Amino acid sequence: MTDQQATTHTYETATARIEEIIRRLDSGDAGLRETLELLREGRGLVEWCAGELEAVGQGLEELRLDELVARLESGAPR
Amino acid sequence: MTRPAGIPGSTLLGPFPVGAYAAKLRDELRKRARVQLFGEVWGFKASKARVYFELRDGEGALPCAMWRNEFDALGAGALADGARVVVAGGPDYYPGSRSSSPHFSFDVTALRLAGEGDLLAQLDLLRKRLDAEGLFAPQKRLARVPLPRTIGVVTGESGKARDDVLAGLRRRGWAGRLVWAFAPVQDRHAAPAIARALQDLSACRVDVIVVARGGGSLADLFCFCDETLCRTVALLQVPVIASVGHHTDRTLLDDVAAESCSTPTHAAEAAVPRHCDDARTQLAAFARRLEGHGRRAVLDRARLLARMSRAPAQHVARQRLALHQSLRELRAAGRRGLAERSRRAERHALVLSRKGAATAAEAARGATLERLRIALDAHDPARTLDRGYALVTDGAGEVVTSARAARHAATVRLRFADAAVDATISDRDPTP
Repeated sequence: MTDQQATTHTYETATARIEEIIRRLDSGDAGLRETLELLREGRGLVEWCAGELEAVGQGLEELRLDELVARLESGAPR
Repeated sequence: MTRPAGIPGSTLLGPFPVGAYAAKLRDELRKRARVQLFGEVWGFKASKARVYFELRDGEGALPCAMWRNEFDALGAGALADGARVVVAGGPDYYPGSRSSSPHFSFDVTALRLAGEGDLLAQLDLLRKRLDAEGLFAPQKRLARVPLPRTIGVVTGESGKARDDVLAGLRRRGWAGRLVWAFAPVQDRHAAPAIARALQDLSACRVDVIVVARGGGSLADLFCFCDETLCRTVALLQVPVIASVGHHTDRTLLDDVAAESCSTPTHAAEAAVPRHCDDARTQLAAFARRLEGHGRRAVLDRARLLARMSRAPAQHVARQRLALHQSLRELRAAGRRGLAERSRRAERHALVLSRKGAATAAEAARGATLERLRIALDAHDPARTLDRGYALVTDGAGEVVTSARAARHAATVRLRFADAAVDATISDRDPTP
């Protein structure tokens, strides 16, 4: 998935699109080229969603606001 | 108790025993002039002997105490938050003892109800003004992230709300980054501190902010009705979820925030609209289905291709087989046809020969019949009449064939071919 896609998606719109893709594939109406394109898009979205879930499932990190501010001021990653 | 040495370098008198100082303080306070004050009653509580409340206005407050029997004598009943009163009395100080705590209070000796609460009316006015300015709407229009990565929480450092927020987040299966912005949540310093914390969290680009505080009277929660705080929240670009005071009273923050919840636990759950564990399960199902489709799409097409690549040879073999079969059937059919045709020919010949014999016999019968017919015709009297002869009959219809018989008959009938005429015989036989 490109950054452009990532910024335009929320988790909800991404999962809604995956559902749509699966419905289209289930219908059996998609030709080979379309199937492969849908699969590519669907896999990209699943990967993106998995990234989102991973970000909120790595273990609760508790910070005080001043610690976060200090971290931001030192230029460390958020 | 022996008197300890003082603080080195200090020029202040003492040290004095605290009890003696507290007693002195009480005496000093009691010396102050008795006055009348007015303000609003908040947090009214009654014990067996005393009633307690805070007297407030927008600028400050005093804890007040009054003897229960004196208060009951007024017949005012319990005082609701915001009730406006005038009180008379003066400051007092209870120095405490070895086992009881000291406390300051304004000792009320008389009290008069003075109409509706001013603070509540002000709050109502402010609520209407903020609403008219449209400040209740902007937060509600902000997009909410279903799975926030970073959640900011503004709450008191020692409050129970802190544990409740954590419990709510755990219930959602959420384990991202939580940023605590601790602030006082009750006194007059609270509102500016909370507003600052909100702005700082917003600047740190958190995805959503929870403002949480446990229950309390509306007076306790008054900092959450602060106009500046409410304006700050309304203009924040990060959604704020309010959970202050268990909703018994509605603060202005509840109106301004993107969402207001009854408990800090609910607020935490509202901050993470999507249950993370459910989302994981769903995503795994999606991934499985997509892979299934991927596998099928490739395998089905590969099978088709393989079939197609084998097709020419198979086609020829199939056609050859079909041709041989047709040929066999054709031969068999030919043989069957031939036999059938010869059988049919034999049958036909038989029929023909029978038919020939029948025709000859019939012709012979016809010729005989014709002969007989001619013979009969030859004997038909009508034919004779046609040739000009006449048939003579007597009166009885008997044929007259001789002159003698004719004379005898005297009258006869002559039948010609066209008609009959009667005739009289003139040449009669004189003697019979």
